[in-house]
Amino acid sequence: MRIEHWWFTARLRLRSILRGRRVERELDEELQFHLECKIEEGITNGLSPKEARYVAMRAMDGLEQRKEEMRDMRRIHWLTDFLDDAHFAIRSLRRTSGLTAFVVITLAVGIGMTSGTFSMVDALIFRPYPVPDPSGVVTLASTTHDSNLDDFSYREYLDIRDKTKSYDGVIANAGMEAVAFSAEPAATPRIKGGVMVSSNYFHVLGVEPRVGRGFREDEDQVPGRNAVVVLGPNFWKHEFASDPGVLGRTIRLNGTEFTVIGVAPETFPGMQIFEHPDFYMPLAMARVFSINPQKNFFEDRDDRELNVRARLKPGTTLQRARNELAMLAKNFEREYPKVNHSRGAAVYTQFEARTREDLNWKFSVIFVILALAILLVACSNVAGLLLSRARARTREIAIRQAIGAGRFRLIRLLLTESLILASLGGLVGIAIGYGIVEWFHTKESIVVLTDLPVSLPFQMDTRVLLASLALSALSALLCGLVPALQSTCVDVVNALKSAEVDVPGRKRLWGRNVLVVAQVSGSLMLLTASFLMVRGFQHGLLEGTGFAKDHLLMTSFDPRLVQYNSAQTQQFYKLLAERVREAPGVASEALTQNIPLGIEDFDGLAFVPDGFQMPRDRENFNSTMDTVDEGYFETMGIPILRGRGFLASDTAETPRVAVVNDQFAKHYWPGSDAVGKHIRLDGRVGTLMQIVGVAQTIKYQNTFERPMDFVYMPVAQHPIARMTLMLRSTGDPMQLVQSVKDVVRILDPNLPMLRTMAYEDFYMDRAVKGPRIAMDLVGSMGVAGLLLAIAGLYGLVAYNVSRRTREIGIRMALGAASSDVLRLVMGKGLVLVGMGTVIGLVMGFALEQLMNSMLFNAGGVDILAYVIVVPSLFLVTMLAAYVPARRASRIAPTQALRYE
Amino acid sequence: MSKPNDLVQGTLDLLLLKILALEPLHGWAISLRLKSISGNVLQVSEGSLYPALHKLEQEGWIAAEWKQTENNRRAKFYSLTRLGRKQLESESANWQRLSSAISHVIQLSEA
Repeated sequence: MRIEHWWFTARLRLRSILRGRRVERELDEELQFHLECKIEEGITNGLSPKEARYVAMRAMDGLEQRKEEMRDMRRIHWLTDFLDDAHFAIRSLRRTSGLTAFVVITLAVGIGMTSGTFSMVDALIFRPYPVPDPSGVVTLASTTHDSNLDDFSYREYLDIRDKTKSYDGVIANAGMEAVAFSAEPAATPRIKGGVMVSSNYFHVLGVEPRVGRGFREDEDQVPGRNAVVVLGPNFWKHEFASDPGVLGRTIRLNGTEFTVIGVAPETFPGMQIFEHPDFYMPLAMARVFSINPQKNFFEDRDDRELNVRARLKPGTTLQRARNELAMLAKNFEREYPKVNHSRGAAVYTQFEARTREDLNWKFSVIFVILALAILLVACSNVAGLLLSRARARTREIAIRQAIGAGRFRLIRLLLTESLILASLGGLVGIAIGYGIVEWFHTKESIVVLTDLPVSLPFQMDTRVLLASLALSALSALLCGLVPALQSTCVDVVNALKSAEVDVPGRKRLWGRNVLVVAQVSGSLMLLTASFLMVRGFQHGLLEGTGFAKDHLLMTSFDPRLVQYNSAQTQQFYKLLAERVREAPGVASEALTQNIPLGIEDFDGLAFVPDGFQMPRDRENFNSTMDTVDEGYFETMGIPILRGRGFLASDTAETPRVAVVNDQFAKHYWPGSDAVGKHIRLDGRVGTLMQIVGVAQTIKYQNTFERPMDFVYMPVAQHPIARMTLMLRSTGDPMQLVQSVKDVVRILDPNLPMLRTMAYEDFYMDRAVKGPRIAMDLVGSMGVAGLLLAIAGLYGLVAYNVSRRTREIGIRMALGAASSDVLRLVMGKGLVLVGMGTVIGLVMGFALEQLMNSMLFNAGGVDILAYVIVVPSLFLVTMLAAYVPARRASRIAPTQALRYE
Repeated sequence: MSKPNDLVQGTLDLLLLKILALEPLHGWAISLRLKSISGNVLQVSEGSLYPALHKLEQEGWIAAEWKQTENNRRAKFYSLTRLGRKQLESESANWQRLSSAISHVIQLSEA
């Protein structure tokens, strides 16, 4: 019944909307017919035609009213009213085109900044996995004291896969790593990115290969047996021109032949935000790709290199899965106390997992706060302008009310106006958002300095567009509602009597006062935040890195790419170091596992300081570490403060030694010399290492980081497969490239040199330009906020004062001096700014604490920001109050009294 | 404003539906029929007739069609729809209940 009813009425409504004119005509015709019949009846009854017509009209009691009633019956007046409102609003907005343009631009800046930011945050946090039913996919993580998002080892993964019951499948993948790819055996290998995955990876995620098939279960059971590979969609497109005939072909990865069995679909670029793998290989092939030569991937329970995800069974709660995994972790801890002591496990939703990927989340939070602050300032700015505009229309509104317009109807009219403004602002804002996203993309090549397939996934997709539209609607409400509410609560009689209804009264002014306070505090918070961020970065840059960046050439090697075993690898590095040292133009040489401020993270090191009383609940401490050779400290120009660096005499046969940094020494042995002390690796009973030297603390991961603990180990005692050669040159470092190439060609012509460049160039791109993007963005947010706030503040204060011209005239007529008047109006403005400043300082201070705790080492309060920002806002306010106040105090009282 | 104050609320709808249930008619004929069948007891102003008809049409209870009258003029004829018939049934039932209840009350003798 209901649906049938709708079916009928919807068609009728639609007809009224679309065929409006025809419906009108029929209405006229129908009534006309009735009138004619009535007139004929009258004439038949003996009336004159004129009388008959009069009687007929009388019987209708007002033809036009009846028509209006009939139109109401069509139930579409909400739409026609809206169209009328819109029409009227557009007309009146066009009359004040300057103001309209200003409002639109202001809103556009606010919305654009916010949608640009949201596109970033969306990519980092919210965008669902590119798989069917993404919400069912959860992340399983190993947890320790220091990390709540640690990886699992292969053995642990197998246990989880086999012993849990909450999931429709548990999958694992290693991190993306460099893979030497060649299509033909003879071709020189090129570096691509690949990930090892469990055989059920595609199946559990619900990803159907574009062509071919995914892995079979038996292809992931015997280590090294099944050399099969699934290609990534982009790689397939660029390398094989999307040729389906690639199936069954053999390609060489790290020198091993792999058979192509499938291609992942384009809808599935990968599970990571930034990384889009070129290859997927079964975990069983780990020996070809194995990351840590000192561990056995398939056996060692503490070789934790796997991300584990799972698909929840329908109907299984997250809580159940959590309890189950926690139980399993307890069992691990009991069975393997050595490697699983105080190690738990957690199950995260996608959102939880992403928000635990530290830096992304922190940046997102900060950017969202800043963007919303801008939007808030923009909205209060526009609200202020609309309020002034509505004031000027008091008379018009009073007349409308006097002739019967309801308050709700008037509010609707005014809101329609702000909706139109916000829509325009939203459109321009989305264009600005696009601009920001494009700008991100032009910077991509700088941020992403790597051979691997990595990309910034920021884009304006439907989700971002919808969010921007929602923001526009929200801002329409925000900036339209206050003025609409205030200006429609008008004393009609007073308003009609005089144009000047702005009787100074507390109730009337709260709106504008709130706006002034909101603007001052919002922009103050923005400015302090951007000041802090800019200064934080600069501070980091000015402070320097602690080592010499110039005259350094870097190039990396990974002998695993050509199947060297550990002995061959060590032999290669030994020969390489010896021979490049002899090359002309080389001042010194160094090998290191990671370069400072590089892209890869440093390894972590679990240790116990010997003789140190450990807290009861901790098995060990953690530090970051690097593995270097004996030339490292000299080549990098890192001063050894006490003791010695590494020597050629530190070999695998001599006792283990380590160099720690100053921060580490102060941290664990405050007040005494760390040299000669020992640390134990892993735990209480691990290998003992003597500290032989203390090196100066440098910047390791970011220029703006806090000083961090750091341990160096000699490569002779801790062999590493992938290392970077650093050469200090006497002249231009790039001139050394050819000599290095010659040396490498003699040692092994198949071994690729990775990421060969002058370190200083790398540093500029990575450590300076990258952060500068963030700095530019935050800086421009701050400036945008300040400009908006200044414009808005000036407008509001000046308007407030100019509305009081009449009052000022009266005061002066009664004998007030112009200085009294100035004090009066400026005092008010200053009180408001003062309140705004206090609130803004509190918010800015909170945000600053947040940012300091998240990003910067510049601890404490950055006084300079406040010293610059606060007075400038006061100055603007004073100026804004002063100019109109001065004008007002100069007019002759007679004129002021007549002033409208 | 649009409600006819000379009739019990809602009864105009019922009357119109009932009249149209007998045969399709145009507005003028409906107004004549109203007067004749109620013996001039129910005064329906001609002005309120048309808004009422439009409302019924928008509810989907009656449908309109332009046709020739017997003296060859174009007029809008209304007829009852299937929905309208159901509505008429339920409203008549309502009215029966209400009126019998009211007459029952009125017939109570004062004790």
